[in-house]
Amino acid sequence: MASTQSEVPTLEPSALTNLIASASASGNLLSATTIQVLHNLQHQHLWTSLQIHDTGASQTATDPANGSSKDISGAPTLISGIPPHRVYTHPDQQLYMLGKGIHEDDLRPERLFVIPTAQGQTWSLRRMASAFDAMAEFQIVEDGEGRAAPEVDAEKAQKLDEYYKKREETLATKEWGAQRLLLAMVDKGMGGDGTVVYYVVQEGEVKPRQN
Amino acid sequence: MDQPTLPIPISFISGRYLLFSIDDVTYLRREYNTCGVLIGTLPQIPQQNVFLGLPLELMPEEARLLVDKGVACIVDEAKAHDGMQSLLEEDRRQYLRELESQGLHATRILAERKDQQRDQKFKEKSDKKAATARAAAKAGGGDKHDSPATPANDSPASVADFFDDSASAKASTSTVPEQIYAVTPTTSYPPLPRPSTSSNNILARPDVPLSYPLFAHLQSRGYFLSPGLRFGCQYVAYPGDPLRFHSHFLVVSAEWDQEIDLMDIIIGGRLGTGVKKGFLLGGPQLSREQAESEIERTESVRTFSIEWAGM
Amino acid sequence: MADADEEVINSTSAEAPQIEVDLSDETQDFRLLNHLSFLGDTASSSLPKRGEKDFEPNPTEFQADVLSASRQAMHNALSHPRIHNPKNRVIGFYAPDGPAPPPQYVETPKDKGKGMNISPDACVCIPNPKGKFFQNTGQTDRWNRVWLLPEEALYMIERGSMDIRWPTSLTGTTEMGGDVSEDEVSIPMSLQAAYACFMGQGGLTLERYSVFTGLKRLGYTVFRAPGWDDSAKPEDSNNEKKDAYAQLKQLRHRGPGLAGILASISDWIHDPMSTASTTAGPVIGCGIHRSYSDVYRKMELIPWYDPVLAPQRDPLDTIAPFRVVFHVYKPTNVIKKTALPTPDFRIAVVNTREQTSIPTLPQLGALLESTPLDPPSGEKMERLLYMRLRHGYRNVVLAVVDQGVTSFLRIGDAAFGKEKLFDAKHVPSGGKKHGFSKQRRR
Repeated sequence: MASTQSEVPTLEPSALTNLIASASASGNLLSATTIQVLHNLQHQHLWTSLQIHDTGASQTATDPANGSSKDISGAPTLISGIPPHRVYTHPDQQLYMLGKGIHEDDLRPERLFVIPTAQGQTWSLRRMASAFDAMAEFQIVEDGEGRAAPEVDAEKAQKLDEYYKKREETLATKEWGAQRLLLAMVDKGMGGDGTVVYYVVQEGEVKPRQN
Repeated sequence: MDQPTLPIPISFISGRYLLFSIDDVTYLRREYNTCGVLIGTLPQIPQQNVFLGLPLELMPEEARLLVDKGVACIVDEAKAHDGMQSLLEEDRRQYLRELESQGLHATRILAERKDQQRDQKFKEKSDKKAATARAAAKAGGGDKHDSPATPANDSPASVADFFDDSASAKASTSTVPEQIYAVTPTTSYPPLPRPSTSSNNILARPDVPLSYPLFAHLQSRGYFLSPGLRFGCQYVAYPGDPLRFHSHFLVVSAEWDQEIDLMDIIIGGRLGTGVKKGFLLGGPQLSREQAESEIERTESVRTFSIEWAGM
Repeated sequence: MADADEEVINSTSAEAPQIEVDLSDETQDFRLLNHLSFLGDTASSSLPKRGEKDFEPNPTEFQADVLSASRQAMHNALSHPRIHNPKNRVIGFYAPDGPAPPPQYVETPKDKGKGMNISPDACVCIPNPKGKFFQNTGQTDRWNRVWLLPEEALYMIERGSMDIRWPTSLTGTTEMGGDVSEDEVSIPMSLQAAYACFMGQGGLTLERYSVFTGLKRLGYTVFRAPGWDDSAKPEDSNNEKKDAYAQLKQLRHRGPGLAGILASISDWIHDPMSTASTTAGPVIGCGIHRSYSDVYRKMELIPWYDPVLAPQRDPLDTIAPFRVVFHVYKPTNVIKKTALPTPDFRIAVVNTREQTSIPTLPQLGALLESTPLDPPSGEKMERLLYMRLRHGYRNVVLAVVDQGVTSFLRIGDAAFGKEKLFDAKHVPSGGKKHGFSKQRRR
């Protein structure tokens, strides 16, 4: 799959409007939303190592029903980055960590994908699924730019090793949930104030968190 | 709680799917995670809405799934009851005798219960007397053993045993009290013969809404599904029997290319998180035009669980 | 990172203890019923507390045992028989062809055509009515027999209060030996038979029935409203409309005498149109303004809807399901079925599988207009702005039924325009947390 991964330019926080204006000159309607979400992640939520994953405007997806190809106009562009704190921990994962005495801050930061959307934008299950399918294609090798895992003593290191091993296993069994991403929606409706809300979306039936 | 004879007849009455036999209800709940909604009044405690009784209303989705699995069939109940006009004289008489002996059994149990209660009261009274006497004699502290608040814990079972086969046998051997309780039976089978798949009052399988594949998908994964009105969704999904478990998901179905308002995802996600549940959005990848059957559509279902990210 | 506001929203909806817990909202553990004694003793039939439920199944034997105990309790509770004490048993007879005179009655030419005054939908006849139920249930004919509508009969048999028989004309008589009366030879109807025979008769749907019994079980008195028949139309719609307009004119017209003159003077002073400058000039105009109230009054430019002036609509001039099908009376009121007072609630029944969207404004408007004016009154309402707004000037209850699950929603026609916030006496005081933003459910 053709994809370009571009580094985010340094932004002046106060120049959001300018930024969107210059970006929209490119003619991509969704890019304004993408940039706005990116901006919000970077400056309000302090995410690092942000990247934009353009899945290609004329990407086609194979329809499982009749084998024909259907054009998805504007297949979702994804953003990825590393949040300062864990955004989501599966209930069973939390239980496991509790048992091992591992705190969330002990863990290596994990890269998370985000679908930028705007209120009023048309949406469908097909689009949601295509975002998940696209995400699977991106294999990101962390270049150490994100936060490094904190220093720990030998005992904890061993526990963390066990945890990472278990985590690797759960990727196959999906017992700690399958793929997940954040759905970001920008408030652009009547009188929209540019608020961005974030929802965790996971493929399959993933039991809810209890806290 | 024996296994009922299959297929289980689902009563189709005035466009709705109902179950009247407690054994059928218990069996479907236990073996097919189908719980339906109890809509009837419990005769033993009729002035409340917390615990309801038979009949049990099934969603058309539930009825359809059971029919497709070969576990149940749909009976045109009004038509089946036309059979009341053609009962044989002998069947009629036997049925009335049967009801009479059930009534007799009930009368006896009630009489026994009354005696027990009287004895109990008498015992309590005499215990109290004894206690007072003892207390007076000892002039000591209170004795806690003197309050035999024996709850009638065994009574529900014995009352429920009314219609055991042994009950009627027992009843017919003892003496007849002058006034016998009358019984309103729950089902009409007997005196009517239990419908078989070859009866002429068997109906076609139920029509179902577009959300059926998602319903069937979740059912097959062991979820118990209830109507979603309370949370403004299509179904509420429970990880186990709703008698014992809280629900996990507010479920909404959509067709693969159906336009979804992103705001509805936010509303569902936020509402779900607020009540510690997930918002589950899903549907079949195949449309009805593309698929041969609802089963094929069910196999193509994909779902997404949504929760507020808290940021 | 969440806003403080969001935290509040989240916590109040999740664990706030002040939210009313309606036990009937959720499936309850039937084991709780075991704490109630079953037969006879009504004194102890108070409701149990809600049981603890688990988050998810686990493979422990303990959990499996608890579940099987719960199911056994449910099985027992649902197996409870409907039995009738011979001393106070009420026997009814199913009348598949509707109300009819007693069989031994010979119609004389004089009586011919004399109506029985019984609803044609009635389907069960009780020759010897006794007991408290018939004070507010059924209709009595001139032979002192009581006739029940399908929903009334079904509710009576379901709660175990009546023994309904198949008519011997239908099933044939059965010789049991001894002396013969119809009570003894007729076959008792089962609950299932009653559903099969009564449901769908005379406009009775399962949804309407669920609403009816749900309210009856809580002690409310429930009667059919004129809108019960979906196809019923107003008798003479033209006349009705004229009347409505006449009423409207009446309302707009000021009373006679000095009060009327004073009213029109004050109208002239306060009429925003009289400034005449609103389209071109300043809204308030030049001059000396002595009070803020005057200024605000002149700023009332946006016309608002006054429910008091809305025309009264014939209850039959509405379209199902958004029309009133039940009149309901509170349990505390003693209702005589022969002289029904104004109902406490009017209820429309909506089936979610047939009506999948929320009602449109015209649908809801027509429904509200078909109910009588019920302005907020009483000392408390006069004092509390939000209570007034929430009560509204007309109201109706929507009973929404989704496959056996019912929710009640009260719709009130609030008149925000009538609340002049600039008048000191209308300033809201207290009671803010009972604001109208919370959806009211009963």
